[in-house]
Amino acid sequence: MCLNLNNKSYKSRLIIGSGKYKNIEETKSALTASGAEIITVAVKRVNIGQNQKEKNLLDYIDPSKYKILPNTAGCYSADDAVRVSLLARELVHDNLIKLEVLKDKETLLPNEKETLIAAKELVKLGFAVMVYTTVNIKLAKDLEKIGCIAVMPLGSPIGTGKGIINSSNLKKIIHNSNVPIIVDAGIGTASDATIAMELGCDGVLLNSAIAMAENPIIMAEAMRYAVISGRKAFEAKRMKISDIAIPSSNKKNAIS
Amino acid sequence: MIYITLNGEKFFLKKEVSIENFLTLNNIIKNNIVIEINKVIITKNLWGKKIIKNNDIIEIITAVGGG
Repeated sequence: MCLNLNNKSYKSRLIIGSGKYKNIEETKSALTASGAEIITVAVKRVNIGQNQKEKNLLDYIDPSKYKILPNTAGCYSADDAVRVSLLARELVHDNLIKLEVLKDKETLLPNEKETLIAAKELVKLGFAVMVYTTVNIKLAKDLEKIGCIAVMPLGSPIGTGKGIINSSNLKKIIHNSNVPIIVDAGIGTASDATIAMELGCDGVLLNSAIAMAENPIIMAEAMRYAVISGRKAFEAKRMKISDIAIPSSNKKNAIS
Repeated sequence: MIYITLNGEKFFLKKEVSIENFLTLNNIIKNNIVIEINKVIITKNLWGKKIIKNNDIIEIITAVGGG
């Protein structure tokens, strides 16, 4: 029932991002409501001239309760992603990294070539790599083969909220994989997360769907149940689809 | 005068200082940050010893919201 990552077991199969919230308090409330045990953070420059009383995101997340998953957001080359990963490792004292190397600022789609180069290098450097990728069946397998601990194909482009747009490739990736497959990006609402889990994904990673909802805290709770619901439906193995109607009530001893 | 690049911006110091003193002088919170000088990470135990030199490119990094 658990999601196993990097020799640790998580009860929740939902991973949430910490971006785009109104403030750190809202981020924390959403995290609690979502039931997620893993939260992603970005690694960026300190605001020089900051207020000494200004709280850092890391002050708000209890490391004994939650796993911090730094990402390489904003990287467009393997070199930059490796550099950010090394900084992240020093910052959170952990080798877990969400690798994200993008192609361009317009589509925010993964750069397949640079992602593969960076993944190889990071595995060599001892990182546990959770890699954001396209819905490319061969690439997903290649990323697994080089030692990534989880492969994370996009549902649809980052921030679009369009849900799962290529479920047929996603299913093939899940079927072929020996590592957890986590849908990352594109989830818009609870049913999208449920669909991903019903397809057999091991988890869902989302950010905007919660942070950009009118009520992020209620949406966080919705996502918590959506992921549980989808996973249970997957484990229960759904009924077969029929082209003809089949009555649910017993036909015997009908009045007419 | 010591000229450095700090988080992408030009910055100057009156004299050479250690990272530790630099952070104190500039009111930079020392928790939850990582320092990189000329693309080499300087671990916290070296902040007192490592002196910032002319033309150093310094990055001070932390965690912020992200997905």
